[in-house]
Amino acid sequence: MKRRLRRIQRYLQRLIAGATPPRTDWGYKGYVTLAMLFTACSTTPPAPHQNPLDASPPRYSLVFIIHGDGDYLYHDALGNARRADEDVLAKAQTVAEQNPNANVYIFHEIERRHVLYLIPRRDGRAYIYERGRLVAQKSYWRDQGASRFDPEVRLYEEFAGGPDRPPVQLFFYFGHELPEFDGAGYDASYATRRVTIQDLAQGIGDIAGDSTKIDVVALATCFGGTPYTIGALAPYARYIIASPDNLHLSYFDLAPLASLDIASGDGAVAAFAERFARNAFDQLANEVQTVVSVAVYDANDVRAFVASVADAYDRTLATTNGTSPAPVEHCDCADDSTYALPGMSDGVTVLYRGPRFGRAKHKQQHSGWECWRTAE
Amino acid sequence: MLTRIIVRLMVVIVALGYAGVALGQDSVHKYFNDTALKVKATEDPVQKREILSKNLSDMTKALDTVKGAPLTSEEDDAKLDRIQSTLREKSDELVGANGFDRVPDDQLNAFSTYIVQDMEQADKTLSIGLVTLLLIIIIIILIA
Repeated sequence: MKRRLRRIQRYLQRLIAGATPPRTDWGYKGYVTLAMLFTACSTTPPAPHQNPLDASPPRYSLVFIIHGDGDYLYHDALGNARRADEDVLAKAQTVAEQNPNANVYIFHEIERRHVLYLIPRRDGRAYIYERGRLVAQKSYWRDQGASRFDPEVRLYEEFAGGPDRPPVQLFFYFGHELPEFDGAGYDASYATRRVTIQDLAQGIGDIAGDSTKIDVVALATCFGGTPYTIGALAPYARYIIASPDNLHLSYFDLAPLASLDIASGDGAVAAFAERFARNAFDQLANEVQTVVSVAVYDANDVRAFVASVADAYDRTLATTNGTSPAPVEHCDCADDSTYALPGMSDGVTVLYRGPRFGRAKHKQQHSGWECWRTAE
Repeated sequence: MLTRIIVRLMVVIVALGYAGVALGQDSVHKYFNDTALKVKATEDPVQKREILSKNLSDMTKALDTVKGAPLTSEEDDAKLDRIQSTLREKSDELVGANGFDRVPDDQLNAFSTYIVQDMEQADKTLSIGLVTLLLIIIIIILIA
């Protein structure tokens, strides 16, 4: 019922979306006409259709959401300055071109800019690939809709067509740690807008549709492997790949997506998830001196552990988010007796290498689950 | 000289608004990265240690000075404390104090990369205000 209501809500939002200003833009009406003049060319016309004889239905659907509205500068081992979001965008576009059997939807969330300090420019870019070809490129407003990822869901539904989905669906999110509470300031351009992991979970749920789950959700952020975050995503995913500890901005390597060949059975999807995680781990371990942790969560098998610690975790979040919040820090759940329960390893494959330096350099293993504790 | 630097940076960064924050963060990243490049370009381990030690010490001093400034918020002060604590641990590790093993000579290049990567990660979780960032940059320019 809730989903149906959301669909009606989104339909109504879609009707007004084209003319609705970003909610935080004061005085928008005064220059909307000019803005339209500047941004009218934001959509690339679709590429000519392929020969219908070649039009076998795609086997894969890949959705990438790449957050770039914040500080994403880092330096590689040679000292070269890199923009993490732009790097991963280029890699995702290459993946899209390399897979003639996949439809790929790439959403790049960028910093909000103005022409002449006055006229707002669209702050999202969508790249739609069908079977290896770029068929549409569109700029869009991000700050629209009740949920943070509504604009991306709307565009996905617009281009993905009807309810039929390819047999294998993959979803990737690249960005900073998605907050579990509060969430203000996640987008550098929208200081007051709140974004939490629940927004992403809702967006993934909407993309998954009514009858199925996304086969693999890869959450390329710091501290994605918490009971709360995995619990939020698990209803919409079969396997989740995340980093329980810090994740360097070189993110998860996309090489395993270069030429997709995944059967739709559970074993094949699990094997792909592990292959993807192993490759990401090996690449990171080669490149970075800080901690490397990549884990694969079987959404069904981790359910019992997530449920068993949910109350305790929620109490910690409530304390952290209270009126006089205590300073907290992340920790391996295995280091806290509240969470170190039998069965915490069920359904989790953990790849871990401690940092090369620092206090944690002797830490040999990680439970795959990250929790909060009061900071010393 | 000091006044001119402050006024110029204030004008540029405040005028740029959000871009000012990015500019400030980029400057801090660049500061650590430049140090790592200098370390890697140096053969002598003693000199490598000196470069690293000075870099960590200068940044710690800059943060100390900024913390005392009336323009920074209490929240920023707390975040600066945590960054300082991280820097102090790195200084300790470099020399092998306070329970740390001394970084071996043949790992100083890797250690300089570790500092860059760790500070870039810390920056994501400890976002500090524009004014505070601005002050840090000014002081780094002055003492470097």
